[in-house]
Amino acid sequence: MKAIFKREVRSYFSSPVGYVCVAALTALYGFYYYKAMLMSSSSYISAVFSTMFSFSMMIIPIITMRSMTDDQKNKTDQALLTAPVGVTSIVLGKFFACWCVYFIATTLGGILPAIAMSFFSNPAWGEIIGTYIGALLYGAAMISIGVFISSLTVSQIIAAIGTFIISVLLMYIDSLASAISNQVISKIVQWLSFNDRYSTFTQGMFSISSVLFFVSVAAVFVFLTARKVESRRWS
Amino acid sequence: MIEVKNLTKRYGQNLALDRVSFKIEEGTIVGFLGPNGAGKSTTMNIITGYLSATSGEVTVSGKNTLEEPNEVKKQIGYLPEQPPLYMDMTVKEYLNFMYDLKKTKLPREEHIKEICRLVKIENVYNRLIGNLSKGYKQRVGIAQALIGNPPVLILDEPTVGLDPKQIIEIRTLIKNLGRNHTVILSSHILPEVQAVCERILVINNGRIVADGATDTLAHDLSPDHRLILRAEGPEKEMVHALQNVPGVVDTYSLGEKEKGVYEISVESTPDNDIRRDVFALMARKGWPMVALRNTDLTLEDLFLQLTSSDAAQLPQQKAAGLDPDQDLEFDSDLAPEKDEETEKGEEE
Repeated sequence: MKAIFKREVRSYFSSPVGYVCVAALTALYGFYYYKAMLMSSSSYISAVFSTMFSFSMMIIPIITMRSMTDDQKNKTDQALLTAPVGVTSIVLGKFFACWCVYFIATTLGGILPAIAMSFFSNPAWGEIIGTYIGALLYGAAMISIGVFISSLTVSQIIAAIGTFIISVLLMYIDSLASAISNQVISKIVQWLSFNDRYSTFTQGMFSISSVLFFVSVAAVFVFLTARKVESRRWS
Repeated sequence: MIEVKNLTKRYGQNLALDRVSFKIEEGTIVGFLGPNGAGKSTTMNIITGYLSATSGEVTVSGKNTLEEPNEVKKQIGYLPEQPPLYMDMTVKEYLNFMYDLKKTKLPREEHIKEICRLVKIENVYNRLIGNLSKGYKQRVGIAQALIGNPPVLILDEPTVGLDPKQIIEIRTLIKNLGRNHTVILSSHILPEVQAVCERILVINNGRIVADGATDTLAHDLSPDHRLILRAEGPEKEMVHALQNVPGVVDTYSLGEKEKGVYEISVESTPDNDIRRDVFALMARKGWPMVALRNTDLTLEDLFLQLTSSDAAQLPQQKAAGLDPDQDLEFDSDLAPEKDEETEKGEEE
């Protein structure tokens, strides 16, 4: 797992992909900080953070789209699958590599402006740290879905679009929930909402159930990806 | 060392391997021969654990590929048809990555350097793999298979894309590796298999159609056993005298080829080697022999004969010692049990 993780991270940063993703997120966050806080002289940092994930949502598909497709296309999966490592650790290595790129981008884009601001004012660190952790967890869940989708296809474009659509769906699933009259279904749909879970973090609350939710989603999709890769052997 | 039992692989409706069985002893170099799409790569992919079989089992050093996949994979170095190279890495990074991936315990620097020296890629050590020529990529692929010094090497067409000088180098390398490794290599270049391998398995349409030592396979499978000799002497007397050598079935003259030198065809029964008797006779009679050759099939003829589908039936049973009826019975008995095992393997 470590070997694959190292290789993947290195490959993100030996091609422009890693730099572009990090730069794009940092620039977007920076711009939004500027617009929401400096221009309107507001200290309402939660507004910034709650928008963070809609930016991340655009970047995550780009990060994950090549994770499983490339190996299949270049036949390098033959080296991985014939090496004495389990399929799950291969997938985990790739998952953590994607997450690491996202982590770097989120840290640079989300935390640096906050630190810069702390020289001039007293930002609400509770909310900032909460949102930061929330964003990382949200990202982990989203990335594992992206990795899974990329394992379903050999085309990077399809993987990226698929992941993008799913994340948009997950974003608007709350509004769908309020439109459903059946209480039970509405509750279930509400429960699936990523946005809902994430917003507790943006208020500076550390909710164990939300942490568990994101971690479980990540685990389930890592597991499904491993099954998908394994199933190719049987086709 | 490697034992393959009743291996069957289906891709949907397409039967890629049909009850393939063979055993490979430790320290031999075995050549897989067969036309494109015969099932060579599929067999190799199953042994290495990249694919799984529909039914049948593979054991390497007594370890089952489904029960202890990682133990088996540790023992195999694999060069697939298309070397699994990351184009965005340098040779150095790539080999170090493979070293980590295979969880090798040998001293890193020395081990990698040693392999680079063996396959002669030291001069491209720091270059990007994507920028290397096909021959060098192939060698990096071989280097990758050697990492961890696995006892079994499986090489799928290892000399593809190399220039003639490199081909000779790689063949020598494989031969040398064969001293303390078990090597399976596939190829459709016949002289290569002949030059490198001690044993040949011919696969066609997913079945093993011939299996035997490189030197004797052609002889064993030849439909007739004939010697062509040229000797100086009286035509009729020579033909008559040769007819009386024990084991000879038929003799006739092919005419005068040089002045006073006749070419004579001598056919014998398959299990008699009459060359010594013929020599002794001609020497006794004072008829100088100027040439003697047998008309055994060349490997090339053999290959063509075995792989043209309808001609394959007879030599197949003769070579592999298969009784088709018994084979069928065996399969139907074991098939359900095998399926259970396969499922178990997947759950793990």
